[in-house]
Amino acid sequence: MLMFSPVKPENRILTQINPLLKIVTCITILSVALLLHKIEALIILVVPLLVLLLISVRIKVQVFGYAAIALLLFIIISTWLRDFQTSVISTLRLLCVILPTPLLAGTTSPSDLVRALQASHLPNFIVLSLMLIWRFLPIIQQEAQRIIEANWLRGVEIARQPKQWFSGLFIPLIFRIVAYADDVTVGLETRGYDPQAPRSNSQPLRWRLGDTIFVVSAAVLVAVVGSLEWII
Amino acid sequence: MFAAFMTIGMIIAVFIIGPFAPPGLQLLFWSPLAGIFLTLGMARLQRRGSVALMILPLAVLLGLISPIILLYLAVTVLVTELVMFFLGNYRYKINRLWGNILFFASANLGGLLLGAYLIKGPRADPFVKFVTQPGLLILLTVLAGIGGAVGWWLGELVIKQLQRAGKIDVDV
Repeated sequence: MLMFSPVKPENRILTQINPLLKIVTCITILSVALLLHKIEALIILVVPLLVLLLISVRIKVQVFGYAAIALLLFIIISTWLRDFQTSVISTLRLLCVILPTPLLAGTTSPSDLVRALQASHLPNFIVLSLMLIWRFLPIIQQEAQRIIEANWLRGVEIARQPKQWFSGLFIPLIFRIVAYADDVTVGLETRGYDPQAPRSNSQPLRWRLGDTIFVVSAAVLVAVVGSLEWII
Repeated sequence: MFAAFMTIGMIIAVFIIGPFAPPGLQLLFWSPLAGIFLTLGMARLQRRGSVALMILPLAVLLGLISPIILLYLAVTVLVTELVMFFLGNYRYKINRLWGNILFFASANLGGLLLGAYLIKGPRADPFVKFVTQPGLLILLTVLAGIGGAVGWWLGELVIKQLQRAGKIDVDV
């Protein structure tokens, strides 16, 4: 069961942006969010992220519900431990930390990510591993969900029976993972994949107008947030 | 390729253990489950550097969340692989056990020390609390090592099952 998926190609806003640029922007937003202490500055940072998430990534209503409940519990507990203002600041900061992840994952295809990572000159084994993780993590999650559902059918509720985790969940999951690993290995071997060899690319990474607009918008956002926090 | 799939297994273990682990003790709860995948990866790859192959991509991914996590995982891998370089490869059970214990114990110790010294402000408080009590720090490190050993034991059980199914070829 995938938690989120990109919207249709015609609705692309962030999918065309250079993935490296998106990663750098995410890290910048994260760093800025950790430095902010004013509620209005944090709100200005959260709102565009939330709007972008809603229009760029299709998220299941159920996931939204879980997230809302988790945030509500977080606010209640942190208000109880400290005070309401600190709790709101912490919640907004938490949103700034969490929101870029689905935004980045939902608007970046594995091939775009691989192109970006290759352009960043990381070692080949890391690029290949990251590509496989990006591609297969949702599939293995689906497999885990299927195994849990198969256990339900047999009357075993995994979440309430930790004793069953090893034999009921991990053993079948590991067998599936090993099967996937073997299939992918054979697939890459038969296609003559060589991580060291130079690869042709039909869509090389280029700086586009969209990237410039994205950088300028992000810089304006950070400048507005910074001025609200430190100048006004 | 196999290493990448074991990394996926470790990430799935994070999702499974996440709701049940109390804050600050996630590594202790994660180690028995992640240890299964670490042992499997060691058994299949067998060479020195297998832990680095599995953990470094995870470190790069988590480095997007915080560079401190990247640094801490890189240090942990370095410590584990440096010791294993002198002990030998992961072909034998006993070396896989040492690899697991070293990895999780050094991850716990390194994580708490780096957290206490590199994180600034109130977020560093829980780390400082652990680091300023040497007894507690040693206890948590030993528990993380035990968690790694449990993961190794479960991992070896899975290896036996995979051997029976003809999916893995390794000395036990």
